[in-house]
Amino acid sequence: MKIMNRWIPRIVLFLAISVAGLANQAVRGEDFPPDQIEFFEKRVRPLLIEHCYSCHSDGAEKIQAGLQVDSRRALLSGGDSGASIVIGNADASLLVSAIRYEEYEMPPSGKLPEADINTLVEWINMGAPWGVDAGNVPAPGGTIERAKFDLAQRKASHWVWQPISRPSVPEVKNSSWPITDIDRFILNKLEVQGLAPALPVDRRGLARRLAFDIVGLPPTPEQVDQFVQDTSPVALDRYVDALLASPHFGERWGRHWLDLVRYAESRGHEFDYETANAYQYRDYVIRAFNADIPYDQFVREHIAGDLIQPPRLSQQNGFNESVLGTGFWFFGEWAHSPVDIRKDETDRFDNMIDVMSKTFLGVTVSCARCHDHKFDAISTRDYYSLCGFLQSSDYRQVRFESIAHNQQVADQLDALDNGYRKAIRDAIGGLFGDTQVPELLPNVNSDQVRMLVDYSNLSTENYLQDGLIFGKRPRTSGEAYLELHEGKPSVSIAEYSAAVNDAFWDIEVNVSESRPGGMGALDPAFRSGRTLRTPSFESPTGRIFCLVAGAGQIFACVDSHRTIAGPLHGETLRNVELASGSSNAPHWVELNLQRYAGHRFHLEFTPAKNQTFAVLKVVDISEGAGPPALATDLNAMATRLLELAANNSNAQSQLQSIANQWHSDRERLRQTLMPDSALAVAMLDGSGEDDRVLVRGSSANPGDLVPRRFLEAIDGDQPLSIGVGSGRLELAQRINEPTNPLTSRVIVNRIWHHLMGRGIVASTDDFGVLGQAPTHRELLDYLATYFNENGKSIKQVIRHVVLSQVYQMSSHSQPEAIAIDPSNRYWHHRSPKRLEAEVIRDSLLAASGALRPQFYGRSVPVHLTSFMEGRGRPGDSGPLDGTGRRSIYISVRRNFLSPWMQAFDTPNPFSTMGRRNVSNVPAQALILMNDPLVSQLSEQIARRAIATEPEDRSNRVNWFYEMLFARPATAEEASLATGYLDLQAIERGVNPDDLSLWSDLAHAMINTKEFIFLR
Amino acid sequence: MNNSTHCHRFRPVPISRRQMLSECASGFGAVALAAMANDLARGSGGTSRTHFPAKAKSVIFLYMDGGPSQLDTFDPKPLLDQYNGQDPSKFFKVEPTQFNNNGTVLASPWKFNQYGQSGIPVSDLFPHLATCVDELAVVRSMVSEFPEHTFANYFLHTGSGLQGRPSMGAWVNYGLGSECDNLPGFVVLNGGLIPPGGIDCFGNGFLPATFQGSIFKPSGSAVANVDRREATLQRQREKLDLVKGLDGLAGRQFGAHDSIESAIANYELAFQMQMAVPDLMDLSKESNLTRSLYGLDAAYEPTRIYAAQCLLARRLVERGVRFIELTCPNVGSDRWDQHSNLKEGHESNARAVDQPIAGLLKDLRQRGMLDETLVVWAGEFGRTPFAQGANGRDHNPMGFTIWMAGGGVKPGTIYGATDEWGYKAIENRSEIHDLHATMLHLLGVDHTKSTFRFGGRDMRLTDVKGHVMHGVIQS
Repeated sequence: MKIMNRWIPRIVLFLAISVAGLANQAVRGEDFPPDQIEFFEKRVRPLLIEHCYSCHSDGAEKIQAGLQVDSRRALLSGGDSGASIVIGNADASLLVSAIRYEEYEMPPSGKLPEADINTLVEWINMGAPWGVDAGNVPAPGGTIERAKFDLAQRKASHWVWQPISRPSVPEVKNSSWPITDIDRFILNKLEVQGLAPALPVDRRGLARRLAFDIVGLPPTPEQVDQFVQDTSPVALDRYVDALLASPHFGERWGRHWLDLVRYAESRGHEFDYETANAYQYRDYVIRAFNADIPYDQFVREHIAGDLIQPPRLSQQNGFNESVLGTGFWFFGEWAHSPVDIRKDETDRFDNMIDVMSKTFLGVTVSCARCHDHKFDAISTRDYYSLCGFLQSSDYRQVRFESIAHNQQVADQLDALDNGYRKAIRDAIGGLFGDTQVPELLPNVNSDQVRMLVDYSNLSTENYLQDGLIFGKRPRTSGEAYLELHEGKPSVSIAEYSAAVNDAFWDIEVNVSESRPGGMGALDPAFRSGRTLRTPSFESPTGRIFCLVAGAGQIFACVDSHRTIAGPLHGETLRNVELASGSSNAPHWVELNLQRYAGHRFHLEFTPAKNQTFAVLKVVDISEGAGPPALATDLNAMATRLLELAANNSNAQSQLQSIANQWHSDRERLRQTLMPDSALAVAMLDGSGEDDRVLVRGSSANPGDLVPRRFLEAIDGDQPLSIGVGSGRLELAQRINEPTNPLTSRVIVNRIWHHLMGRGIVASTDDFGVLGQAPTHRELLDYLATYFNENGKSIKQVIRHVVLSQVYQMSSHSQPEAIAIDPSNRYWHHRSPKRLEAEVIRDSLLAASGALRPQFYGRSVPVHLTSFMEGRGRPGDSGPLDGTGRRSIYISVRRNFLSPWMQAFDTPNPFSTMGRRNVSNVPAQALILMNDPLVSQLSEQIARRAIATEPEDRSNRVNWFYEMLFARPATAEEASLATGYLDLQAIERGVNPDDLSLWSDLAHAMINTKEFIFLR
Repeated sequence: MNNSTHCHRFRPVPISRRQMLSECASGFGAVALAAMANDLARGSGGTSRTHFPAKAKSVIFLYMDGGPSQLDTFDPKPLLDQYNGQDPSKFFKVEPTQFNNNGTVLASPWKFNQYGQSGIPVSDLFPHLATCVDELAVVRSMVSEFPEHTFANYFLHTGSGLQGRPSMGAWVNYGLGSECDNLPGFVVLNGGLIPPGGIDCFGNGFLPATFQGSIFKPSGSAVANVDRREATLQRQREKLDLVKGLDGLAGRQFGAHDSIESAIANYELAFQMQMAVPDLMDLSKESNLTRSLYGLDAAYEPTRIYAAQCLLARRLVERGVRFIELTCPNVGSDRWDQHSNLKEGHESNARAVDQPIAGLLKDLRQRGMLDETLVVWAGEFGRTPFAQGANGRDHNPMGFTIWMAGGGVKPGTIYGATDEWGYKAIENRSEIHDLHATMLHLLGVDHTKSTFRFGGRDMRLTDVKGHVMHGVIQS
């Protein structure tokens, strides 16, 4: 079906143009024979009126898809999807395809009876005769006026595209209430509504609120006491600053961020393969929040951290931090054996663009995948122009620990080698300098052979690799290089031009989590930092031949698909063994990729362990033809070169001494190399590629190429000016540009959302027309401006917000205020906040003393219950208590998410979720009532309480309250608790200090709402 | 099953009369709505009452994991016998398949006979179900968009091939609320095989967690965390009373808030659920007649497992649970995914489900429940008319069979047709979206109006598609 459909629209367009002339001649009814007109009037027009007019005629309330069917010209001119009929060819007519329910399904109320479909088919094949038109008939040669997607109008009419203003701080009547300007913006609106703000919360309530909001952990009783007793005017500042400086801050706010980038450590789909080393990104995020790096830097690192020069280096370890940000692109769901591989790519890209645009820009660019956005100033061309950045970029596992250091080694190596090559030339005169070594295969583009990649003739920007081992450029024929024969160095002369890996790097070791899912054949430990990447190309035949020498692996990356785990796509991976015998001459390796004819490719070459792999050329060859013969007899050429050297003994001995020295210099340099490096998910820049618009989002229906650029509503429709490669760095710059009204508004709104429980724009990921309007637009712009003027510091904005009165309000509301503003839209009080799944678990651990304050590292496997079943179930279940680690360190496996996290609304990692659901499900109560972890930790809390307050039972009850709720028990609470304990002691016949009693009290208190809500 | 006292206890500040009605009507679902009621960020669009009179109140979705073959079950094709062993590409274009290991035309190893008044043909795989054909509307013209299990599973369950969308059961409960106070509105009775794609097939996606499918096992401790940890019920009750007392006192710390009131009320629900589950699972009061009708004591273990699932499904419907899905039991070889050994594999899978399903249909009928219970039997796709290897069949999403029964479905119907090879649907081609639209329609919900705003769109189970299959609906 799909294969047929793919061509129809093009044919339609083509034919529609070719018959346009005809159509003009036949406007009026009298031009058709009367019997045909009668056929039309009696049988066709009634069908159109009955089934189509309500949406596709001049009289329609709203014309759908820009299509009218109430005139012949309108049908020929068509709607958004092009011409509707092809005169004389019903099978090629979109209208017929639609009523046959192929491409569209029209009419939507139900498929027409077969007889009616046949009538319309007959009519089109007859030449689409038409009677006298009524209504809105376009003038000859004109087209139907239809409501067009008007980006400029959309932009002008929606607030978010307007520049960020610098609003003046409003006047307020109650001038004693505000502490900060934020308060004045809030109070001003409250006063307009006739509302008064709630009183401030008590200091213990504030201490607990701040601790959870900033670090996601309960304050210790000592911290609370210290704060409460600190009478200094800067007590609050001190308390806040200490929290902001805590390394737990990054864990709390990092988790917020992970919700945005649908962070997960497995791929979902059928077998839930592992995303090896995903946790490195999680750690990067935590460190970045703790370090409070400027947000524009954080954005830049996400979009293009692999391209930043110089990269941001870890202050502690010197490794490349910047490149780690790019991992976020790749945490989507990946399928392992899609039948339609290109469609699968478009789905992956869609997720990447969806996440990127919602996360950073707060707009839903993905809604423009199939058609221009229905509501916002975002076009389909915007969408596919962004796809181009992804077409120009690749997935890799980067050696992020060594890359910065070893890059310097590579620079020194290059200089060293250049020096010796010059010395050799000097030593042996012009012996080789003017000897033109012929290329093995001249550039032979012919009808049968198309050169795809030629390493003897390649522009610098197309010399791409993950790592350093293939040097800064291909080795060129006639060039000297150092070779080792059984440890003995000698100078060799390159017989051909090729990309060749240098054995210098063989000591590099990749430290990685296991390969993806065990089944995925692309092993990061083997490939990372050791892979040559060709520029991208399209192959019309899929008959690709590579001219290579040595041993290694060739991976043909088709449509960026990499999860090679069968049953399909095994042919994209090919191992090349050493050629038999002593000969290691270049030879053709055929890749049988006919299945992918017409798709987009690039190839990746990885040398076998401790082997050399030389890549000379890649060609595409027509069906039936073979690879071109190699132009020169290799042996003859090699012999000639050897003779040249042998005949000059002086040169020979000089060469040997150079070789020895060269070798020892290289060995010395090699000592400085950092051999081991951990790996992380990251991007690799490819060749610059634009993508095509896919008509109605269908990969079977490619349209025009669109140049890469940023959103037209912000940046205009001119192509982005790009140096080399993907252009992501330039894209990042556009996203960060002060004239972009989205980025800073979106991030300050996220901060406000997390602190205040609801964003100023409540729909944090959608600032578009379907999102929520800001409740306090000036405040949003004020905060965005504050942010931009304070180093784009997340911590500064947090600090600014929490030091305001509005943040510190009590959760007690006034009935009058509720009557006026029941949803607390204007913030007249603080709405209690249900704590997140992770925070509930973490605070249980903290209260019980089981929390292990260990940062970073590989995730603790999720604890598997017997209800967590299915394919890809991890072999090992993690411990019940996650070894006491904070929840952010528990593994996130898409198909085996923790039931605890799911019950308390941790989002499924499929798209950006800046705003979690807050639901109220019996499963939550059942967990807190009956989950074994809760029981276990309740007991530990009780043990702690007894140990801390061994004598005084009322002190012990109080300890519970201070530990769990940051406040002492009231007299009534204490009496209720002790009443329970006393009664239970009698009922159970146990000592009033019995652990079981106190465990039950702890368990009961965990089940009170105060444990999971912030006041 | 509505208990009006709950409405008062859980009531949030109503935004509108309509919303208040919806919360009162929705029992289990009310709690989530309460939490969302004052929520500025959600668009409206959740349906509270039916758009038109509902024919079905509950759905039992018999998920046939792996893709049973239409050609060997309900869609006989004599041409396969005639050209058995011949190269299919001589007769029609062979589309790309999942395994790309296509063999010759493969005749069905089973005989077909016509049954009942309707004369609907059924293969020898289903001797019990064959006696129920006059209840069935057999749709022979289903198509899916995906030839891979996981995409197709998500698609069948959520209307999208990718992870993260709400499942049918979640949408149904979102739209209608639950009529059950002490059990979740969307229950998955897991016979052993969680479908490829995992429990996300039963997820709530962007809907609140209330609408998540709850996984029940057909025996033992059916639900996670439903067993109390206290030695006696009384002791747990006393503890919960303490919780309630402390919650009451803590109200002074917070002031009055619906979110907290709802969370308090949630404990009563959880407690009731904890009591209701053992009651649900206790099959000892079922008569011997019923036991043997379902095959609870059958010789074949997978039959016994599925029989328990089917019987529990009836008991869940009796308790007002809105949407019940049954996953397949493990028959030792593989789910309905016979890439090889079609005969053995399909036989085992059919043997597991045949008698229990027939028992379920008859039991629902005799109890007068079938007319209000929609039963749907469907896999994620069908299989190819040509062999994979020697004796298997590969995935085929271009034409396959499902059936529906009860709940307003036109009984004894065959709807749609595949081509003469049983390869592609040619008449009344029906998409998964159409199936969803039809199911919602029978429940009284207009699939175009049950929406939830997420990511800049008003999302629907049927995406932007879906047509009600009026041909299978009883007029």
